[in-house]
Amino acid sequence: MRRLLLTLQHAVAAPTRNPRLAVVIGRLLGLAFLVCFGTGLYSHFLQEPLPWMHFPTFPGNLYQFTQGIHITAGIACFPLILAKLYTVFPNLFETPPITGIGSLLARASIAVFVGASLVEITIGLLNTYQFYPWPFGFREVHFALSFVIIGSLAIHIGVKLPIIAKYWRKRDGYGPALAFDDEERAEINAPLVDVLPAPLQKVPGARQVSGLTGRLFRWIDAAPAEQPGTATSTSRRGFLVTVGVGVAAVVVLTAGQSFALLRPFNLFAPRVKGIGPQAVPVNRTAVAAQVTETAMAPDWALTLGNGSRTLSFSRAELLAMPQTTVDLPIACVEGWSQMATWTGVRLNELVRRVDAGQGAALRITSLEKEGGYRVTQMGSEYVGDDNTLVALTLNGETLDIDHGYPARMIAPGRPGVLQTKWLSKLEVLS
Amino acid sequence: MSGRELSGPGMSARTMRLTRTILIGVGVLGLVLGAVVLVSKQDLPAILRVAAWMLGAIILHDAILSPIVFLIGVVARHAGRRVSKVVLMIIQGGIVTGCLLMLLVVPEIYAKTLPIANDTVLPFDYAARLGFMWLGLAVLTAGVCVVYLRVAGRRNVVR
Ligand code: HEM
Repeated sequence: MRRLLLTLQHAVAAPTRNPRLAVVIGRLLGLAFLVCFGTGLYSHFLQEPLPWMHFPTFPGNLYQFTQGIHITAGIACFPLILAKLYTVFPNLFETPPITGIGSLLARASIAVFVGASLVEITIGLLNTYQFYPWPFGFREVHFALSFVIIGSLAIHIGVKLPIIAKYWRKRDGYGPALAFDDEERAEINAPLVDVLPAPLQKVPGARQVSGLTGRLFRWIDAAPAEQPGTATSTSRRGFLVTVGVGVAAVVVLTAGQSFALLRPFNLFAPRVKGIGPQAVPVNRTAVAAQVTETAMAPDWALTLGNGSRTLSFSRAELLAMPQTTVDLPIACVEGWSQMATWTGVRLNELVRRVDAGQGAALRITSLEKEGGYRVTQMGSEYVGDDNTLVALTLNGETLDIDHGYPARMIAPGRPGVLQTKWLSKLEVLS
Repeated sequence: MSGRELSGPGMSARTMRLTRTILIGVGVLGLVLGAVVLVSKQDLPAILRVAAWMLGAIILHDAILSPIVFLIGVVARHAGRRVSKVVLMIIQGGIVTGCLLMLLVVPEIYAKTLPIANDTVLPFDYAARLGFMWLGLAVLTAGVCVVYLRVAGRRNVVR
């Protein structure tokens, strides 16, 4: 067994599989994970704030930026994690596999880390296609695994810290791709005693060609992976260039869904800017939300309540009030976003009509028949902001029904799921 | 790790030990928090399915993907013994880049065959684009190889 593990380790050794490269790639991956974790937590708490939380309303495209970064850094994780696993692949055959309780826990935490990371990025990516082939809740599991990942990452860094510190800087060298001591080398090179006839066993180097595995390993050895000097540094450079090109390719060809600058290069993202009714993409249509009748009803009115005081406004009445125009993005939790121009009534002017004080928060109800975001809450920082509108037009036209006709909410810095469409009722919370 | 217990450059053994303790402590906390969140938000069968997916991901990578990549590397080294090592690497880089993009795009092609929410979700013809991507990548890779061979050839002549 030990022999097999050593031989496997030896076989998969390569100049690009060494601790220095593991550190170089690991740093980038760790950074990408932390960026995903930070932006992900921000997205989570925007949707499920703790009671004391207040969020910035400036700049108005803050969430567009943070969630765009989340998805983009997340996509960059694919090449990075595969590269990282590539550099450490020989460690899989480490021998002895386990030396004690400490090493058992260390290896277990790596297994958890690798498994959780692969699942996290996969379900995250597929979620942006609105494709859910897994038998568990996306948001719940994506959220829980993010702690598991960051936790097992911290353990991993703690365990490997001496090696990480050693190879942190380039001038500290690359170290051996794999260090076999003499005894291990002897074992790798030892004759396969059982197979060879006794006289042959004495011949130096007579170990190899015995059985299929022997022949296979000999064949592998004939294509030497470890070369001295310049060839080794060429393959290291080649490896890093490949990783760089891979990351650049997946990022540049998809990030146009989140960042306008990269839009011309958007070949593969699940979303494109500038399409859809009124040049704004849609997540939930009026048909899906079952509002095609209620939203078009001639007697539609927006009710606004503060305790016992209730007012209601028809669309014509809203249009007759002072109108404000703002440029704010729809920024989806799935990472795509679209800048747009909205015109409507300032929310803070509306709530003043029911004598809501400064610092009032709102409960917002949509005409939607069902769904997790039919009833949501809006913190006082958004209610009071001059850029928060009950929007009536989009890009100069009457709001399309798929964008929330007769009236929708648009506020700075909030995820799209909280920009409630097809407004029905606003209640001031004291 | 055993036997390689050394302090890094510019870090005393004590700082090293302290940093490691803190990292591992934070890590255990994170794991506990993750477990608590998972248990509070999902029932037992769902948690088992998450674990099965994690295990499946590890097996898929370690037992299927990695050996394939390894074998392709060995075959390439065998086949390419007479080809310049750099040219071989450029070709490998092209293939790896294409495979990475394919990894992201193939699920889109499949997801588009299922009922989708509306026309603004998955709007492209991803299969066609994937084909053109491979074509473009092949041309690009060939171009880089040619440029490299020219430059390398000229360098050899000059010398
Ligand atoms: C290690 C990598 C990652 C970490 C640590 C991470 C972490 C998080 C966290 C904490 C959230 C908030 C969950 C919630 O609202 O309860 C989140 C949301 C999200 N993440 Fe990630 N994530 C990672 C990778 C990815 C990747 C690769 C993608 C896609 C390419 C992705 C897509 C999403 C999406 C779409 C959401 C929004 C979910 C929603 O609110 O409906 N994530 N992420």
